[in-house]
Amino acid sequence: MSLLKKNKFIVISLFITMLGVGMWSTYHYVFGAPTKASEIAPYFTGEAKEFKYLFTEDIKYWNNKVVQIKGNVDEINEYGILLNENIFCQFEKNIDVPENSINQDLVIKGKVVGFDELLMEIKLNQCIIIK
Amino acid sequence: MIRITLLLTFTLFLGAICNAQKYYTRSGVTEFKASKETFEPIEAINKSTTAILNINTGEVVAQVFIASFEFENALMQEHFNENYMESSTYPKAVFKGKIVNFSKDALNKISSFDLVGTLTIRGKEKVVKTKVSVKEHNKKLLITTDFVVKPEDFNIEIPSIVKEKIANTIQINIKYELVKKK
Repeated sequence: MSLLKKNKFIVISLFITMLGVGMWSTYHYVFGAPTKASEIAPYFTGEAKEFKYLFTEDIKYWNNKVVQIKGNVDEINEYGILLNENIFCQFEKNIDVPENSINQDLVIKGKVVGFDELLMEIKLNQCIIIK
Repeated sequence: MIRITLLLTFTLFLGAICNAQKYYTRSGVTEFKASKETFEPIEAINKSTTAILNINTGEVVAQVFIASFEFENALMQEHFNENYMESSTYPKAVFKGKIVNFSKDALNKISSFDLVGTLTIRGKEKVVKTKVSVKEHNKKLLITTDFVVKPEDFNIEIPSIVKEKIANTIQINIKYELVKKK
């Protein structure tokens, strides 16, 4: 194969690859499903107490941000758990949290929904238990 | 004498408030459908609705965070939040109303009631009148209802380029499972 033919082959192969990647990216952008909180790197990782303090400083800033918090379990129901009195973490899928988790510390990752003024709680959804 | 009467009235009023029995949920399901049959479905579900029902008066309040509506398509979700609902400016939709003639004791005989209230989206209010079904099951109150709204009721402008794909009326379905508030 001559040098010219070789170069042509490389250029065409590169073009097809780029076209393929471009088409795949466009398809993914237009038809892709929203990214779940579990797949997003957290904006905040730390204690629930500290998060509550930061959240009250600027409530709007935290809307839709993914956080990973360690807090004390106050209440468990079939949809989620209540951490540190007023952080409600709604699970992505209904999971059975053992009853003996009450008053224990758990690390939860989830997306901040906002401040629920009806129940005076910080609401997180798409939550998963890290440990 | 006046002081005693006032004190008594206040005590009775306070007693009435304390006796107010409330049922609530943090995980109510609110979904909407704005699809036209021939095009791709335009619908989303919100499983994080908070709702409270006062069973003494029938008063009900529900709050939904706009950004927690989940679509199957990420781009559609982005457009919904940024272009149509402006969820960073108007993060919540609120319904305040009353289930007319509601009585928990009558639930074994009747399950359908009239629901009247005001729905606030993007700061615009719209009166909603519909039927609501309330059933008691395993100490929970199951509330289901549906109603229709129009985008123009809340000043939501649909660009002409996508107008053909979006239905003129939006169907809202509600399913809440309320438990007694401690």
